[in-house]
Amino acid sequence: MFRNFIQNKGIVAKYTLLLITGLTVALQVSAQYAGYKSVNDLAAFKKQFATESAKVQSITSDFVQQKELLALTETITSSGKFWFKRSNRVRIDYTKPFTYRMVMNGDKMLVKDDQKESRINVKSNKLFQQVNKIMIDCVQGTILDSKDFTTRVFENDKTYLLEMTPVSKTLKEFFQTIVLNVEKKDYSVKSIDMNEPSGDKTTITFSNKVLNAQVADEVFAL
Amino acid sequence: MKFLHYSILLLLVAACASDYKARKAVAPDSVCTEKIKPVGIKTAWYTTHIDVIGKHISGLLLVKQMPDSSKRVVFTNEAGVTFLDFEFRADGSFQVKQVIKQLDRKAVIQLLRKDFELMLGIPFRKGVYESWQMNDERYFGVPQKKETAYFITGADCASLRRIELGSKRKKKVTVEMWGDNLTTPDSVKVKHYTFNMVIGLKKIER
Repeated sequence: MFRNFIQNKGIVAKYTLLLITGLTVALQVSAQYAGYKSVNDLAAFKKQFATESAKVQSITSDFVQQKELLALTETITSSGKFWFKRSNRVRIDYTKPFTYRMVMNGDKMLVKDDQKESRINVKSNKLFQQVNKIMIDCVQGTILDSKDFTTRVFENDKTYLLEMTPVSKTLKEFFQTIVLNVEKKDYSVKSIDMNEPSGDKTTITFSNKVLNAQVADEVFAL
Repeated sequence: MKFLHYSILLLLVAACASDYKARKAVAPDSVCTEKIKPVGIKTAWYTTHIDVIGKHISGLLLVKQMPDSSKRVVFTNEAGVTFLDFEFRADGSFQVKQVIKQLDRKAVIQLLRKDFELMLGIPFRKGVYESWQMNDERYFGVPQKKETAYFITGADCASLRRIELGSKRKKKVTVEMWGDNLTTPDSVKVKHYTFNMVIGLKKIER
Protein backbone atom coordinates (compact mmCIF):
# COMPACT_ATOMS: atom_id res chain seq x y z
CA MET A 1 0.00 0.00 0.00
CA PHE A 2 2.04 2.94 1.30
CA ARG A 3 5.11 1.01 0.32
CA ASN A 4 3.83 0.80 -3.23
CA PHE A 5 3.33 4.54 -3.32
CA ILE A 6 6.99 5.06 -2.64
CA GLN A 7 8.48 2.00 -4.21
CA ASN A 8 6.75 1.41 -7.49
CA LYS A 9 7.24 4.55 -9.41
CA GLY A 10 9.85 6.58 -7.59
CA ILE A 11 7.09 9.01 -6.78
CA VAL A 12 9.33 11.51 -5.05
CA ALA A 13 11.27 11.89 -8.22
CA LYS A 14 8.15 12.24 -10.31
CA TYR A 15 6.80 15.16 -8.38
CA THR A 16 10.14 16.84 -8.09
CA LEU A 17 10.47 16.38 -11.83
CA LEU A 18 7.24 18.27 -12.24
CA LEU A 19 8.85 21.17 -10.41
CA ILE A 20 12.03 20.93 -12.43
CA THR A 21 9.97 21.04 -15.57
CA GLY A 22 8.12 24.08 -14.35
CA LEU A 23 11.31 25.86 -13.42
CA THR A 24 13.00 24.95 -16.65
CA VAL A 25 10.06 26.11 -18.65
CA ALA A 26 10.14 29.26 -16.62
CA LEU A 27 13.76 30.10 -17.12
CA GLN A 28 13.85 29.20 -20.76
CA VAL A 29 11.18 31.56 -21.89
CA SER A 30 10.28 34.08 -21.36
CA ALA A 31 -8.36 33.35 -18.56
CA GLN A 32 -7.47 36.73 -19.66
CA TYR A 33 -5.11 38.66 -17.45
CA ALA A 34 -5.53 42.21 -16.26
CA GLY A 35 -3.40 44.62 -18.23
CA TYR A 36 -2.49 42.01 -20.84
CA LYS A 37 -3.70 41.53 -24.38
CA SER A 38 -3.36 38.50 -26.64
CA VAL A 39 -0.25 38.31 -28.76
CA ASN A 40 -1.41 38.85 -32.31
CA ASP A 41 1.42 37.28 -34.23
CA LEU A 42 1.89 34.00 -32.39
CA ALA A 43 4.07 32.55 -35.15
CA ALA A 44 6.51 35.44 -34.86
CA PHE A 45 6.57 35.08 -31.08
CA LYS A 46 7.27 31.36 -31.35
CA LYS A 47 10.13 31.98 -33.74
CA GLN A 48 11.62 34.71 -31.56
CA PHE A 49 11.18 32.62 -28.44
CA ALA A 50 13.00 29.69 -30.03
CA THR A 51 15.78 31.97 -31.27
CA GLU A 52 16.30 33.58 -27.86
CA SER A 53 16.15 30.22 -26.07
CA ALA A 54 18.82 28.81 -28.34
CA LYS A 55 21.20 31.54 -27.18
CA VAL A 56 20.99 30.46 -23.54
CA GLN A 57 23.77 28.07 -22.61
CA SER A 58 23.50 28.42 -18.86
CA ILE A 59 21.45 30.10 -16.15
CA THR A 60 22.19 30.79 -12.52
CA SER A 61 19.51 32.36 -10.38
CA ASP A 62 18.18 32.80 -6.86
CA PHE A 63 14.53 32.03 -6.27
CA VAL A 64 11.79 32.52 -3.70
CA GLN A 65 8.93 30.01 -3.65
CA GLN A 66 5.57 30.71 -2.05
CA LYS A 67 3.05 27.95 -1.61
CA GLU A 68 -0.41 29.33 -0.85
CA LEU A 69 -3.10 27.10 0.61
CA LEU A 70 -6.21 29.02 -0.23
CA ALA A 71 -8.80 27.41 2.05
CA LEU A 72 -6.42 27.26 4.97
CA THR A 73 -5.14 30.85 4.59
CA GLU A 74 -1.62 29.53 4.97
CA THR A 75 1.52 30.37 3.04
CA ILE A 76 4.91 28.75 3.30
CA THR A 77 7.87 30.58 1.82
CA SER A 78 11.11 28.90 0.86
CA SER A 79 14.13 30.06 -1.09
CA GLY A 80 17.23 28.77 -2.79
CA LYS A 81 19.31 28.65 -5.90
CA PHE A 82 18.76 27.36 -9.44
CA TRP A 83 21.26 26.29 -12.09
CA PHE A 84 20.75 25.21 -15.70
CA LYS A 85 23.33 24.15 -18.24
CA ARG A 86 22.55 23.15 -21.78
CA SER A 87 21.42 20.78 -22.84
CA ASN A 88 19.72 18.93 -20.03
CA ARG A 89 21.27 19.65 -16.69
CA VAL A 90 19.30 21.30 -13.91
CA ARG A 91 19.97 21.73 -10.20
CA ILE A 92 17.67 23.24 -7.59
CA ASP A 93 18.83 23.81 -4.02
CA TYR A 94 16.33 24.85 -1.37
CA THR A 95 18.29 26.44 1.45
CA LYS A 96 15.68 28.14 3.65
CA PRO A 97 13.81 27.22 5.80
CA PHE A 98 14.81 23.66 4.94
CA THR A 99 17.50 22.04 2.83
CA TYR A 100 16.61 19.99 -0.20
CA ARG A 101 18.45 19.35 -3.46
CA MET A 102 17.32 18.08 -6.85
CA VAL A 103 19.80 17.49 -9.66
CA MET A 104 18.83 16.32 -13.11
CA ASN A 105 21.60 15.31 -15.45
CA GLY A 106 20.52 13.64 -18.67
CA ASP A 107 18.59 10.50 -17.84
CA LYS A 108 19.64 10.49 -14.22
CA MET A 109 18.40 12.36 -11.22
CA LEU A 110 19.51 12.93 -7.61
CA VAL A 111 17.17 13.88 -4.78
CA LYS A 112 18.78 14.76 -1.46
CA ASP A 113 17.10 15.89 1.75
CA ASP A 114 18.69 16.39 5.15
CA GLN A 115 18.58 12.67 5.85
CA LYS A 116 19.00 10.70 2.66
CA GLU A 117 19.88 10.88 -1.00
CA SER A 118 18.33 8.86 -3.81
CA ARG A 119 19.40 8.34 -7.40
CA ILE A 120 16.77 7.68 -10.02
CA ASN A 121 16.84 6.66 -13.65
CA VAL A 122 14.47 9.02 -15.42
CA LYS A 123 13.85 6.46 -18.16
CA SER A 124 12.27 4.12 -15.65
CA ASN A 125 8.72 5.11 -16.43
CA LYS A 126 6.40 6.80 -18.85
CA LEU A 127 5.77 9.91 -16.78
CA PHE A 128 9.50 10.50 -16.44
CA GLN A 129 9.82 10.28 -20.20
CA GLN A 130 6.92 12.67 -20.68
CA VAL A 131 8.36 15.20 -18.26
CA ASN A 132 11.80 14.78 -19.78
CA LYS A 133 10.36 15.58 -23.20
CA ILE A 134 8.67 18.69 -21.84
CA MET A 135 11.97 19.80 -20.42
CA ILE A 136 13.80 19.28 -23.69
CA ASP A 137 11.06 21.19 -25.50
CA CYS A 138 11.70 24.03 -23.09
CA VAL A 139 15.44 23.89 -23.54
CA GLN A 140 15.08 23.92 -27.29
CA GLY A 141 12.51 26.67 -27.22
CA THR A 142 9.86 24.43 -28.76
CA ILE A 143 7.58 24.24 -25.73
CA LEU A 144 5.00 26.30 -27.58
CA ASP A 145 4.71 23.45 -30.11
CA SER A 146 4.45 20.82 -27.35
CA LYS A 147 1.47 18.50 -27.33
CA ASP A 148 1.68 18.26 -23.53
CA PHE A 149 0.20 21.74 -23.12
CA THR A 150 -2.11 24.08 -24.91
CA THR A 151 -0.60 27.53 -24.59
CA ARG A 152 -2.01 31.02 -24.80
CA VAL A 153 0.33 33.98 -25.00
CA PHE A 154 -0.43 37.49 -23.77
CA GLU A 155 1.64 40.63 -23.52
CA ASN A 156 1.84 44.09 -22.01
CA ASP A 157 4.54 46.72 -22.47
CA LYS A 158 7.23 44.90 -20.57
CA THR A 159 6.31 41.25 -20.31
CA TYR A 160 4.92 38.23 -22.06
CA LEU A 161 2.57 35.95 -20.18
CA LEU A 162 2.42 32.30 -21.20
CA GLU A 163 -0.55 30.37 -19.88
CA MET A 164 0.10 26.65 -20.25
CA THR A 165 -2.76 24.20 -19.73
CA PRO A 166 -1.83 20.52 -19.39
CA VAL A 167 -3.38 18.13 -21.88
CA SER A 168 -2.60 14.79 -20.24
CA LYS A 169 -4.68 13.37 -17.40
CA THR A 170 -1.57 12.85 -15.28
CA LEU A 171 -0.43 16.47 -15.42
CA LYS A 172 -4.00 17.72 -15.08
CA GLU A 173 -4.23 16.02 -11.69
CA PHE A 174 -1.57 18.37 -10.38
CA PHE A 175 -1.85 21.55 -12.42
CA GLN A 176 -4.76 23.49 -13.76
CA THR A 177 -2.38 25.90 -15.45
CA ILE A 178 1.25 26.90 -15.32
CA VAL A 179 1.67 30.61 -15.96
CA LEU A 180 4.99 32.15 -16.86
CA ASN A 181 5.77 35.82 -16.68
CA VAL A 182 8.58 36.59 -19.12
CA GLU A 183 10.51 39.83 -19.44
CA LYS A 184 10.54 41.22 -22.96
CA LYS A 185 13.99 42.76 -22.62
CA ASP A 186 15.86 39.44 -22.41
CA TYR A 187 13.19 36.74 -22.49
CA SER A 188 14.07 35.76 -18.94
CA VAL A 189 11.35 34.81 -16.50
CA LYS A 190 10.31 36.97 -13.60
CA SER A 191 7.98 34.44 -12.05
CA ILE A 192 6.07 31.23 -12.53
CA ASP A 193 2.67 30.36 -11.08
CA MET A 194 1.70 26.73 -10.72
CA ASN A 195 -2.05 26.68 -10.19
CA GLU A 196 -3.52 23.51 -8.74
CA PRO A 197 -7.07 22.30 -9.42
CA SER A 198 -7.91 22.88 -5.72
CA GLY A 199 -7.18 26.60 -6.06
CA ASP A 200 -3.88 26.32 -4.22
CA LYS A 201 -0.98 27.99 -5.93
CA THR A 202 2.81 27.89 -5.90
CA THR A 203 4.62 30.99 -7.11
CA ILE A 204 8.33 31.03 -7.83
CA THR A 205 10.01 34.38 -8.30
CA PHE A 206 13.51 34.59 -9.73
CA SER A 207 16.16 37.16 -8.95
CA ASN A 208 19.85 37.78 -9.57
CA LYS A 209 19.65 35.90 -12.86
CA VAL A 210 22.90 35.41 -14.72
CA LEU A 211 22.73 34.06 -18.25
CA ASN A 212 25.55 32.29 -20.04
CA ALA A 213 28.11 32.50 -17.27
CA GLN A 214 30.55 29.64 -16.81
CA VAL A 215 28.88 26.87 -14.79
CA ALA A 216 31.09 23.93 -13.85
CA ASP A 217 29.92 20.44 -14.75
CA GLU A 218 30.53 19.46 -11.12
CA VAL A 219 27.49 21.53 -10.12
CA PHE A 220 25.38 18.76 -11.66
CA ALA A 221 27.33 15.83 -10.20
CA LEU A 222 25.05 12.98 -9.18
CA MET B 1 18.18 -29.31 14.02
CA LYS B 2 17.20 -29.31 17.68
CA PHE B 3 18.66 -25.83 18.00
CA LEU B 4 16.47 -24.68 15.08
CA HIS B 5 13.37 -26.07 16.79
CA TYR B 6 14.21 -24.27 20.00
CA SER B 7 14.90 -21.06 18.09
CA ILE B 8 11.55 -21.22 16.31
CA LEU B 9 9.81 -22.00 19.60
CA LEU B 10 11.54 -19.06 21.24
CA LEU B 11 10.51 -16.77 18.41
CA LEU B 12 6.91 -17.94 18.66
CA VAL B 13 6.87 -17.40 22.40
CA ALA B 14 8.35 -13.95 21.94
CA ALA B 15 5.82 -13.11 19.23
CA CYS B 16 2.92 -14.21 21.39
CA ALA B 17 4.10 -12.43 24.52
CA SER B 18 1.89 -9.54 25.47
CA ASP B 19 3.42 -6.09 25.68
CA TYR B 20 0.88 -5.27 28.36
CA LYS B 21 1.08 -8.44 30.45
CA ALA B 22 2.89 -6.79 33.34
CA ARG B 23 0.56 -3.85 33.73
CA LYS B 24 -1.71 -3.58 36.72
CA ALA B 25 -5.00 -1.71 36.83
CA VAL B 26 -4.97 1.24 39.18
CA ALA B 27 -7.58 3.76 40.27
CA PRO B 28 -8.17 6.60 37.78
CA ASP B 29 -6.36 9.84 38.58
CA SER B 30 -8.35 12.74 37.20
CA VAL B 31 -5.78 15.30 38.35
CA CYS B 32 -3.07 13.59 36.32
CA THR B 33 -5.26 13.01 33.24
CA GLU B 34 -6.36 16.62 33.12
CA LYS B 35 -2.81 17.82 33.50
CA ILE B 36 -1.16 15.51 30.96
CA LYS B 37 -3.94 14.59 28.50
CA PRO B 38 -2.56 15.31 25.01
CA VAL B 39 -4.45 18.10 23.28
CA GLY B 40 -2.53 17.56 20.07
CA ILE B 41 -0.65 19.75 17.65
CA LYS B 42 -2.45 23.01 16.83
CA THR B 43 -0.89 24.98 13.96
CA ALA B 44 2.64 24.39 12.67
CA TRP B 45 4.63 23.45 9.56
CA TYR B 46 7.06 20.54 9.69
CA THR B 47 9.68 19.06 7.44
CA THR B 48 8.69 15.44 7.22
CA HIS B 49 10.47 12.17 6.54
CA ILE B 50 8.61 8.92 6.05
CA ASP B 51 10.56 5.67 6.00
CA VAL B 52 8.55 2.63 5.01
CA ILE B 53 10.16 -0.78 4.66
CA GLY B 54 13.49 0.60 3.50
CA LYS B 55 12.03 3.33 1.29
CA HIS B 56 12.19 7.04 2.02
CA ILE B 57 10.03 10.02 1.17
CA SER B 58 10.25 13.61 2.37
CA GLY B 59 8.01 16.65 2.22
CA LEU B 60 6.30 19.32 4.27
CA LEU B 61 3.42 18.73 6.68
CA LEU B 62 1.05 21.46 7.77
CA VAL B 63 -1.15 20.97 10.82
CA LYS B 64 -3.73 23.74 11.05
CA GLN B 65 -6.28 24.49 13.74
CA MET B 66 -9.27 25.98 11.92
CA PRO B 67 -11.67 28.61 13.31
CA ASP B 68 -14.48 26.03 13.47
CA SER B 69 -12.31 23.86 15.76
CA SER B 70 -11.63 21.31 13.05
CA LYS B 71 -8.04 20.45 12.20
CA ARG B 72 -6.47 20.04 8.78
CA VAL B 73 -3.36 18.02 7.93
CA VAL B 74 -1.79 18.75 4.55
CA PHE B 75 1.24 16.93 3.16
CA THR B 76 3.07 18.43 0.18
CA ASN B 77 6.42 17.81 -1.39
CA GLU B 78 9.14 20.44 -1.11
CA ALA B 79 8.18 21.82 -4.50
CA GLY B 80 4.66 22.56 -3.32
CA VAL B 81 2.69 19.74 -4.93
CA THR B 82 -0.06 18.62 -2.53
CA PHE B 83 -0.17 14.88 -1.82
CA LEU B 84 -3.02 14.86 0.66
CA ASP B 85 -5.31 17.09 2.69
CA PHE B 86 -7.26 15.52 5.58
CA GLU B 87 -9.92 17.20 7.68
CA PHE B 88 -10.58 16.12 11.28
CA ARG B 89 -13.81 17.74 12.41
CA ALA B 90 -14.64 18.76 15.95
CA ASP B 91 -17.51 16.23 16.06
CA GLY B 92 -15.05 13.39 15.41
CA SER B 93 -15.91 12.91 11.75
CA PHE B 94 -13.22 12.75 9.11
CA GLN B 95 -13.03 13.80 5.48
CA VAL B 96 -10.43 13.44 2.79
CA LYS B 97 -10.40 16.86 1.15
CA GLN B 98 -7.77 15.92 -1.38
CA VAL B 99 -5.52 12.96 -2.13
CA ILE B 100 -3.43 12.07 -5.15
CA LYS B 101 -4.38 8.96 -7.07
CA GLN B 102 -1.35 6.99 -5.90
CA LEU B 103 -2.31 7.43 -2.23
CA ASP B 104 -6.03 7.00 -2.71
CA ARG B 105 -6.25 3.54 -1.10
CA LYS B 106 -8.46 2.78 1.87
CA ALA B 107 -5.65 1.07 3.79
CA VAL B 108 -3.23 3.98 3.29
CA ILE B 109 -5.79 6.57 4.27
CA GLN B 110 -6.84 4.65 7.39
CA LEU B 111 -3.22 4.13 8.40
CA LEU B 112 -2.36 7.83 8.07
CA ARG B 113 -5.66 8.88 9.62
CA LYS B 114 -4.90 6.89 12.79
CA ASP B 115 -1.34 8.24 12.98
CA PHE B 116 -2.51 11.82 12.58
CA GLU B 117 -5.34 11.32 15.08
CA LEU B 118 -2.79 10.31 17.70
CA MET B 119 -0.68 13.39 16.90
CA LEU B 120 -3.76 15.57 17.16
CA GLY B 121 -4.84 14.01 20.48
CA ILE B 122 -8.24 13.13 19.00
CA PRO B 123 -8.77 9.84 20.88
CA PHE B 124 -8.39 11.68 24.20
CA ARG B 125 -10.89 14.48 23.57
CA LYS B 126 -13.75 13.07 25.59
CA GLY B 127 -12.24 9.99 27.03
CA VAL B 128 -13.24 8.05 30.06
CA TYR B 129 -9.83 6.82 31.01
CA GLU B 130 -8.81 3.47 32.34
CA SER B 131 -5.53 3.51 34.25
CA TRP B 132 -2.69 1.05 34.67
CA GLN B 133 0.76 0.98 36.15
CA MET B 134 3.62 -0.84 34.44
CA ASN B 135 7.23 -0.61 35.54
CA ASP B 136 7.77 3.07 36.29
CA GLU B 137 5.04 4.28 33.92
CA ARG B 138 1.36 5.12 34.19
CA TYR B 139 -0.92 4.27 31.27
CA PHE B 140 -4.19 6.11 30.63
CA GLY B 141 -6.23 4.33 27.99
CA VAL B 142 -9.28 5.12 25.89
CA PRO B 143 -10.81 2.14 24.03
CA GLN B 144 -11.10 2.58 20.27
CA LYS B 145 -12.89 0.22 17.88
CA LYS B 146 -10.41 -2.65 18.07
CA GLU B 147 -7.54 -0.98 19.85
CA THR B 148 -6.76 1.21 22.80
CA ALA B 149 -5.17 4.64 22.61
CA TYR B 150 -2.94 5.41 25.57
CA PHE B 151 -1.04 8.36 26.86
CA ILE B 152 1.78 7.47 29.12
CA THR B 153 3.46 9.39 31.91
CA GLY B 154 6.13 8.67 34.46
CA ALA B 155 5.12 7.50 37.91
CA ASP B 156 5.17 11.09 39.15
CA CYS B 157 2.86 12.31 36.36
CA ALA B 158 5.32 15.11 35.67
CA SER B 159 5.17 14.98 31.88
CA LEU B 160 3.87 13.11 28.85
CA ARG B 161 6.30 10.40 27.83
CA ARG B 162 4.52 9.17 24.72
CA ILE B 163 1.22 8.35 23.07
CA GLU B 164 0.61 4.74 22.12
CA LEU B 165 -1.87 2.69 20.15
CA GLY B 166 -2.11 -0.97 21.06
CA SER B 167 -4.22 -4.02 20.46
CA LYS B 168 -5.18 -6.19 23.41
CA ARG B 169 -1.70 -7.69 23.52
CA LYS B 170 0.63 -5.77 21.24
CA LYS B 171 1.96 -2.29 20.98
CA LYS B 172 1.24 -1.05 17.45
CA VAL B 173 2.21 2.64 17.21
CA THR B 174 4.00 5.13 19.44
CA VAL B 175 4.10 8.91 19.09
CA GLU B 176 6.84 10.83 20.89
CA MET B 177 7.03 14.60 20.98
CA TRP B 178 9.82 16.92 22.05
CA GLY B 179 9.78 20.62 22.87
CA ASP B 180 8.61 23.05 25.51
CA ASN B 181 5.11 23.38 24.10
CA LEU B 182 3.47 20.14 22.98
CA THR B 183 0.77 21.97 21.04
CA THR B 184 3.58 22.97 18.67
CA PRO B 185 6.31 20.44 19.41
CA ASP B 186 9.78 20.98 17.95
CA SER B 187 9.92 17.41 16.71
CA VAL B 188 7.70 14.36 16.55
CA LYS B 189 8.41 10.69 15.91
CA VAL B 190 5.68 8.22 14.93
CA LYS B 191 6.87 4.63 15.00
CA HIS B 192 5.00 1.51 13.90
CA TYR B 193 5.75 -1.83 15.54
CA THR B 194 3.77 -4.25 13.38
CA PHE B 195 5.75 -3.28 10.28
CA ASN B 196 8.71 -1.08 9.58
CA MET B 197 7.50 2.50 9.30
CA VAL B 198 8.66 5.71 10.96
CA ILE B 199 7.41 9.25 10.41
CA GLY B 200 9.72 12.03 11.60
CA LEU B 201 8.65 15.68 11.87
CA LYS B 202 10.82 18.71 12.56
CA LYS B 203 9.20 22.09 13.06
CA ILE B 204 9.91 24.81 10.51
CA GLU B 205 10.62 28.18 12.10
CA ARG B 206 9.07 30.79 9.80
